[in-house]
Amino acid sequence: MHPILAFRGRLGPYLAGWVPLAGLLAGLLAVGGMTWLQATVVAVPLAVVYAFMCLAAWYPCQSAPLRKATFAKVVVTQLAAAGLSAMLWLFLADTWVVFLEQFPAFAGVGERFPRLVVVLLAVGVVLYVLGAALHYLLIGFEEAQQAERNALQLEVAAREAELRALRAQIDPHFLFNTLNAISSLIATEPTSARTMCLELAEFLRESLRLGGVATIPLAEELRLAERYLGIERVRFGPRLRVERDVDGGAETCAVPALVLQPLVENAVRHGIAQLVQGGVVRIAGRCSGGRLYLTVENPACAAPAPSGSGLGLANVRQRLAALYGQDASLDARVAGGTFRVELTMPASPPPAT
Amino acid sequence: MAIETTPGTLRVAIVDDEAPARSLLREYLSALPDVEIVAECANGFEAVHAVEATAPALLLLDIQMPGLSGFEVLELLGREVAVVFVTAYDEFALRAFEVHAVDYLLKPFSPDRLKEALVRARQRIGQPREAGLDKVTAAARPPGTWPARLVAREGGRVHVIPVDALDLVEARDDYVCLRSGGREVTKQQTLTELATQLDPARFVRVHRSFIVNVAKIARIERYGKDSRLAVLQDGTKVPISHTGFASLRPLL
Repeated sequence: MHPILAFRGRLGPYLAGWVPLAGLLAGLLAVGGMTWLQATVVAVPLAVVYAFMCLAAWYPCQSAPLRKATFAKVVVTQLAAAGLSAMLWLFLADTWVVFLEQFPAFAGVGERFPRLVVVLLAVGVVLYVLGAALHYLLIGFEEAQQAERNALQLEVAAREAELRALRAQIDPHFLFNTLNAISSLIATEPTSARTMCLELAEFLRESLRLGGVATIPLAEELRLAERYLGIERVRFGPRLRVERDVDGGAETCAVPALVLQPLVENAVRHGIAQLVQGGVVRIAGRCSGGRLYLTVENPACAAPAPSGSGLGLANVRQRLAALYGQDASLDARVAGGTFRVELTMPASPPPAT
Repeated sequence: MAIETTPGTLRVAIVDDEAPARSLLREYLSALPDVEIVAECANGFEAVHAVEATAPALLLLDIQMPGLSGFEVLELLGREVAVVFVTAYDEFALRAFEVHAVDYLLKPFSPDRLKEALVRARQRIGQPREAGLDKVTAAARPPGTWPARLVAREGGRVHVIPVDALDLVEARDDYVCLRSGGREVTKQQTLTELATQLDPARFVRVHRSFIVNVAKIARIERYGKDSRLAVLQDGTKVPISHTGFASLRPLL
């Protein structure tokens, strides 16, 4: 976006800034021998034309941005552009003067002109460079504003994700189905019923606590997931099978709290529960090259993904982005009948608590 | 006039994919006199067969199950059965009402709550059948949501057809023939009823006896002076009536 043309209200002041320059130009010409009238009529249109030509300084500014290009490149690009523009301007000036000579008031203007060529060239180059400098300034200003906007947006996304994480912690389906299962066990297996009751209470307590924490060691996150899976196993019986493959090094890494839980819940709700014969939920984690890789896999089912699963993934993605920016990623895909979600993030030891 | 309740034993079938949920219902029902559990099913397919085989008067039906949902099971039943939905979440309550379920139990529920539902079931079973309630259809769908698949029963088999793969529906007497990718499945339903399950922006009744998936039309041909045919991607030719064409034109 052009820093002057794309913004209403900037073109006016920019052109107004050229008025004194037009005056200066006229003055130069007057000193060079023209009358003030002649000088003004020659200078003002030329100044207007060059004002617009300098707006094109944006293109070289873009191709040699201050932050990324070498100093040499910037200098060479801008001088080349300045030279070209100035020469073009001079050509236009010459044409204009020749045109004016037709009129009696301007007879003889052309004679004085060649003397002024070098001066005008220099003036053209200087004005162009000034124009380029202005563009760089405006671009820099725009970039600073954009950076601020980005920071704010990230902040908002993090807050929203936090809120959603809190809200999503207690899934009603899970809660009521579990209570129903407990109710069912009371008559037939009272001890199991009591255990399940306690497990559920612990799970809910942990979920609520972790909602307020930023990062935890992976081992703790896995413990929560396993507690959840233990509860679900009562409901699904042999339909839910769990495999775990996490290496010791990975377990000590820090992860955002409740980053795995939504994935595991999805795996059960949208994978296992949708299949008559059930299947395997596989959780794997490894640390390699300073990065942590976590995967959750479940059998893919033919039915179209219901809306819930999408939200869970989006939430986790946002939280990873809020904490690690571009350094973390979430990849979800179906391959060979398995739905696989892989998280990668920098491997860092958890803060000492 | 007192509402007659069915005397004698109430034959009940339990349908839920979770074993603890089934055993809980079994426990509650065993404590009741004159209730007999005639079948216990772990999924919708089993349920459809069990209803055929054991003819229960009442179905205690979970909604969210793998394979077929509780509502789809209802659609496939070949007999008139009273239904009480049993589920963990209340989001389906409105739809349950629209398919004329007897009751809607929220897990976990007490034995008394179940007894209440059974009383209502007995009342419903004792009532004379209202005309027009023969077939249960998913009526009054919330706007913007259409079933992604149709279910049909042919003999012992249950067929599930994704709506995207449906080419054409043809009416035959009092049932319809669903054509999809060369396969044909018949379903006991009138074309008009089936039309209520299909998005009119994608499926048009081009003729008294045909509904066509607009996305599967390859071209329209004229034949004779006044008549048109739709030719589908697989070559099938479907006649289009005048009114049918009027409905079809804006979507082409």
